Amino acid sequence: MAAKEIKLLTEFYHLDEYRYLKGYEANNGYKILRKALKMQPQEIINEVKASGLRGRGGAGFPTGVKWGFLPNNDNTRYLLCNADEGEPGTFKDRMMMERAPHQLIESMIISAFAIKSPKSYIYIRGEYDESIRVVTQALKEAYDAGYLGKDILGSGFTHDMDIYVGAGAYICGEETGMISSLEGLKGQPKLKPPFPAVQGYLKSPTIVNNVETLAAVIPILDKGAAFYKSMGTEKSSGTKLFSVSGSVMKPGNFEVALGTSLMDLIELAGGLKQGRRLKAVIPGGSSAPVLTAQECLSAKMDYEDLAAKGSMLGSGAVIIIDDSHSMVDLLGVVMHFYHHESCGQCTPCREGTGWLDKVVKSIVKGQGRIEDLNLILKVAEQMKGKTICALSDAAALPAISFVSKFRDEFEKYILEGRAPMGEMIHA
Amino acid sequence: MPKITINGNEIEVKDGSTVIEAFKKSEQDIAHYCWHPALSIAGVCRLCMIEVEGNPKLQIACNTVVTEGMKVSNQSEKVKDTVRWGMDFHLINHPLDCPICDQAGECGLQEQYMKYGQHDSSMSQSKVKKSKVVDLGEKIVLDSERCILCSRCVRFTDEVTKTNELGIFNRGDHSEIGTFGDKKLENDYAMNTVDICPVGALTSKDFRFQQRVWYLKDVETTCPGCSTGCSVKVYYNNEGLFRVKPVEDASVNGYWMCDEGRPLYKFANHKSRIKTFMKIQNGTPMPVNFKDVELELSNIFSSSEKVAFVLTGQNTNEEYSGLNTFIKSANAKSDIYYWQNNVDSFDSFDGLLKRGDKNPNTKGLLKSFSSMKKLSELNNSAAETIVVFAPENIFVYPDYDQIIESLNASGKKIIFVGSQTTTQLFQMPEGSILVPAKTFFEKNGTFTNYNNTERKVKKGILLVRGAIDILEFVDLCEMKFEPDALIKQRKFNEMAKERHVL
Repeated sequence: MAAKEIKLLTEFYHLDEYRYLKGYEANNGYKILRKALKMQPQEIINEVKASGLRGRGGAGFPTGVKWGFLPNNDNTRYLLCNADEGEPGTFKDRMMMERAPHQLIESMIISAFAIKSPKSYIYIRGEYDESIRVVTQALKEAYDAGYLGKDILGSGFTHDMDIYVGAGAYICGEETGMISSLEGLKGQPKLKPPFPAVQGYLKSPTIVNNVETLAAVIPILDKGAAFYKSMGTEKSSGTKLFSVSGSVMKPGNFEVALGTSLMDLIELAGGLKQGRRLKAVIPGGSSAPVLTAQECLSAKMDYEDLAAKGSMLGSGAVIIIDDSHSMVDLLGVVMHFYHHESCGQCTPCREGTGWLDKVVKSIVKGQGRIEDLNLILKVAEQMKGKTICALSDAAALPAISFVSKFRDEFEKYILEGRAPMGEMIHA
Repeated sequence: MPKITINGNEIEVKDGSTVIEAFKKSEQDIAHYCWHPALSIAGVCRLCMIEVEGNPKLQIACNTVVTEGMKVSNQSEKVKDTVRWGMDFHLINHPLDCPICDQAGECGLQEQYMKYGQHDSSMSQSKVKKSKVVDLGEKIVLDSERCILCSRCVRFTDEVTKTNELGIFNRGDHSEIGTFGDKKLENDYAMNTVDICPVGALTSKDFRFQQRVWYLKDVETTCPGCSTGCSVKVYYNNEGLFRVKPVEDASVNGYWMCDEGRPLYKFANHKSRIKTFMKIQNGTPMPVNFKDVELELSNIFSSSEKVAFVLTGQNTNEEYSGLNTFIKSANAKSDIYYWQNNVDSFDSFDGLLKRGDKNPNTKGLLKSFSSMKKLSELNNSAAETIVVFAPENIFVYPDYDQIIESLNASGKKIIFVGSQTTTQLFQMPEGSILVPAKTFFEKNGTFTNYNNTERKVKKGILLVRGAIDILEFVDLCEMKFEPDALIKQRKFNEMAKERHVL
């Protein structure tokens, strides 16, 4: 039996008026903000900690713990919302911003109140024209209604919010890369330590959270941490939006409890396209190691099960690959992407992504050598965990998993100089 | 002071030190390109990998702060493998043009390759093409293909000179160093970027294609360019001097030197150096033997004739003191005149290293000769002979020709001890003598810098065989002078005699 969607965040997303203040307020909008402003900031942090909410952007770091890293002093803190959704296959933040901009704004005011931040920024991906338009209009509405600015709803809490539009670099979705970009510098990740919670935007303590992570604060405060934790698994509580794409009948975003089985999720998305067999699934965005059809059967969509299978939940972008796709061509696309997006700071990534791309491209062009496969594995292995940020790993992991799990297909491709006829089409 | 164990050796370091600093202090080998002690941490070359006990992941030593009892190593196979691959990553897009690269012989990549590599590249695809021979201004040329993007030069212009000319443009393996818009890399300290460039990406226009570095010897001495007295290395061989680079000296110049000091080596090489003793006879300078000069000088100083001396702050303390003793004993009636240059900007300072006093030893001069007269008062002097110890760095003596002209006009006999010739010298009054002087590179001694610190001047080689310094000039006056060549001949004869060869 297929799993059911649990619409904790997306309950009213089908309503057009939910995009505007009136429609949002009519459906319990800004109700939780009023409640939160009467709480103690520490209470909110404790509640979020207790809920077990983990970062939805990709790394899955516990949100409450992250907030707890802020130094105990009076320095200005910043809250940054990471809406630079760039991981190939992910399109959940876009929907959230376009369908419910006020949900994001409300959750950010609550979170800013919890961490005592007077200023926040929403860093939106430059290509998201519609999101930028909708959030900008919503921000204006929120200011006009007194939800932002001085003395919000008479609570004495003052908070300002701004939108910053990225210029299209994948790397600016990395939190310190985003901070650099926001500071007006080249979007390059910074050395850690110091971590942003200690020294981030403008060298002040800074919290960077994903759109979905922040939005989850509302149901946590609404229904309580215990309720939130009752969903999902022990270490992956709550619900998560999955962007299902590829060879399914009904691609789209689906909000389900964490721990839902992958096959159920595929079914929820209408099942595989007619007459196709499942070949592989990338479960967490293009940087997550690919799962074979066999592994998919038992896969559960939560942080720990996918980690146990050597992959990761990432941003929740589930890419379904069927038997008509060539893994070689697919890896070619993925490697091209990371080569193009490497910021160029750290040598292993700058040179490694280009190297991998060139080798894979030569295979795609029919000029591959069998020894190239071992070379890919060796180069990728040396790119893992050697750099400032995780982009290098993001390029290395798919390379390693594609080549090691589908070696037969790669070898066949190299020997024939092309994808075997009648079996595969270009990705 | 935390204690840390590096590859089994315990060492105590300052609080807040990084592991790479501890490696340097314990003089253990660690690979690195982007880290520089005087610049901020970039952490991008990823070569200074270490294993910290209790942490499965490799760390970079430059961004790891030492904690008490920390145990680190960079000798394990895991680290070595990573460094080996790190070098491979650096090399896959690096052109192998060492035979025509000026950095060859002192290149970080070559050193690394000899230590960790010595194998063929596994890269079989074509390399990334980038800009070559990019003109960055008057002094520096950039080759982007050779660049390993360590960002040292960018950080130098950001943090040290704060002139911000450089940046890294583009992304990924298409990243390139460049200047913003039409800006040129021409600040007063720009040449330091060539020194800190670990590869041949930034090269000096002055030194480019002049010499292979393995044909050069070097001597550590003091820059004679101004009263700061930076520690420098002068690179030379039998063909002459080729370049000057700064030497780390925490008390004076740190790691840098200014671009004004760099070309001063040219004065020693200069074609127009005074090469022999000459005397003006019948209006033309004729070469003379030093013995004749010796006789003439001793005559002057043994008589009661009044002599005027002209001095600048460009000689060593030893020379001043020798001259002082001589003047006191031989000719008490002599007056000493101080030839001071760029008086207006004499006390200026650019905040980093450059000082307006363009003499290395003004402090020493003032200490040795307490009562000096201004050069402008020389006209009123009753002296019949003027001995001029001329400056060697005539760039900073714009009045060089003019002063000589006015001395000529006085009609008095001039003994001119200097290294740089000029046409005015050939119009000196009848009987005047030209004495070839040694440059800073040809003598040992000390300068006293602005801060009253003694700075060592060390001899490299003698470029003009007959040249003498003031001490030897004094010997000449006292008829005690013996040129190097004669000393050698005498020693040879003595030894031969002892052994009954002759």
